[in-house]
Amino acid sequence: MRKYREVMRVYLKAQLAWRADVVFSMIFTVSKILFAWLLWGMIFRERDLVADLTFHGMLSYYIVSSFLSQLEMAGGISGEISARIRNGTLSNYMVLPVNMEGYFTAMEAGVVLFYLSFDLLAAAVWVFVFRIRFVFAHSGTALICGLLMAVMGLFFMVQLNFFLGILTLKYEEISTFLMIKDNLAALVTGSLVPLSLFPEGLVAVMRLLPFYYVTYLPSMLLIGRCEDEAARGLLVLGGWCVLMQGVILATWRKYRTKYDGVGI
Amino acid sequence: MKNFRVWKALLKIRFQNLMMFRLGFWGPFFVDGSLFLIQLAIFDAIYANVERIGSWGRGEMILYIGTFSLINAVNMVVYFFGVNGIAGKIRSGEMDLYLTKPVSPLFRLTFECMNPGSLPLLLFSAGIIGYGIRTAGIRMSAERILVYLFYLVLMIVLYYEMEVLLRSVAFYLVSNARMEQLEEAGLNLCMNLPGIAFYGIYKVVFYGILPYGIMATLPVQGLIGELSPGMAAHGAGIVCTFGGITALAWKKGMRHYNSASS
Repeated sequence: MRKYREVMRVYLKAQLAWRADVVFSMIFTVSKILFAWLLWGMIFRERDLVADLTFHGMLSYYIVSSFLSQLEMAGGISGEISARIRNGTLSNYMVLPVNMEGYFTAMEAGVVLFYLSFDLLAAAVWVFVFRIRFVFAHSGTALICGLLMAVMGLFFMVQLNFFLGILTLKYEEISTFLMIKDNLAALVTGSLVPLSLFPEGLVAVMRLLPFYYVTYLPSMLLIGRCEDEAARGLLVLGGWCVLMQGVILATWRKYRTKYDGVGI
Repeated sequence: MKNFRVWKALLKIRFQNLMMFRLGFWGPFFVDGSLFLIQLAIFDAIYANVERIGSWGRGEMILYIGTFSLINAVNMVVYFFGVNGIAGKIRSGEMDLYLTKPVSPLFRLTFECMNPGSLPLLLFSAGIIGYGIRTAGIRMSAERILVYLFYLVLMIVLYYEMEVLLRSVAFYLVSNARMEQLEEAGLNLCMNLPGIAFYGIYKVVFYGILPYGIMATLPVQGLIGELSPGMAAHGAGIVCTFGGITALAWKKGMRHYNSASS
């Protein structure tokens, strides 16, 4: 555990070298809030409720979901693993005296911990700038479940990206799949629009998938909605994490020997 | 005529290069196709809950998405992959190679990485536009179609100008990553949000400073008969203004360029 803590600490410190990146990534979070502010501002001029949300409830959703999706930076893991396999330098990770997936999880934890406070600050600034009457959960259970689910969601995305990265061992070129995955993930996690806007049948299908619990449900829980789904959500997401771990182990065992350290 | 021969040679070389990676050949089509399908799904979900957004119904919004997709498709087929490499070539000094060739560096950079694999995006976009016209029940006339096509061409030019302008910053700065971030944020916002949603300071920014807000909006307004003479003049003026700024930035930048050390 000490080794992983050290990896986490190294990556946390490494972020300090990219101060301008931090500032600009904070500033650019405004584009999602601005989108919500202008689009929903126009829609709510003619009505008070959409999908059971008020204007300020909707904007609160976007503030929380934008904060959570900003923290989800695991996309780099699949790109990094894929590039390393293709140029034959994955060996750099293989020779480390740590489990590779654990290494990437610790790396992600370090980066997320660094950005956490800045993203919180950005969210607070946008609430103030756009004069949003922020809606927040009153129930402690909803808060705890929402936070726990958000952490589990981040872990699931690390697993998913690690899995996609090691698929390079079999398919050699996966960058197209990764870009399509990013597009789809933005939709199915609810970071573009709340999933409650979709037809009930489709939402029922989404409830079976892990993405529903990565951004959408934690955001709804944190704004005091969908509390009845919290326990089931934790169970479903936990199940997906276990399943994904099994898939990762099986894939790694099967294709690890294809890596010869000389690139593709 | 010489430029046409160069263009033909560049296309041939590019084709041979792309055919080596068959999945990669269609990659941009799948990626951008999925992006605009997702946008359609999002607005379908929104319109399942509301009837209109401002003065636009579901059909007008589909038409907007199709038009943005078409502008993006032309960009992907013709110049994106070439223009996107400008900053890297300035930074690495690779621009030297372009200066020694008997053809304009910008011409070669624009056309050397054409991507025929994105051609289906043009058909895909045309399909969305047709669906949008049908859904909105727009009564077509030759005049409206001409206005649409005229502003579509103008906005494709504007898109190109913006791409070159933002990458010309690399002549003066070590990194233009921020410019690309700015472009990405502006494009993402305006791809999802039609120009009719902007007002006040947002209108000033997205109609005049980073004019992504007018890109698909003006052609659509032309087709549905909502384009005012003022906005029509503004659109043409912006294209000319940015054309001048881009030409100046490129010319001055080339003079400022001093090989790998720039």
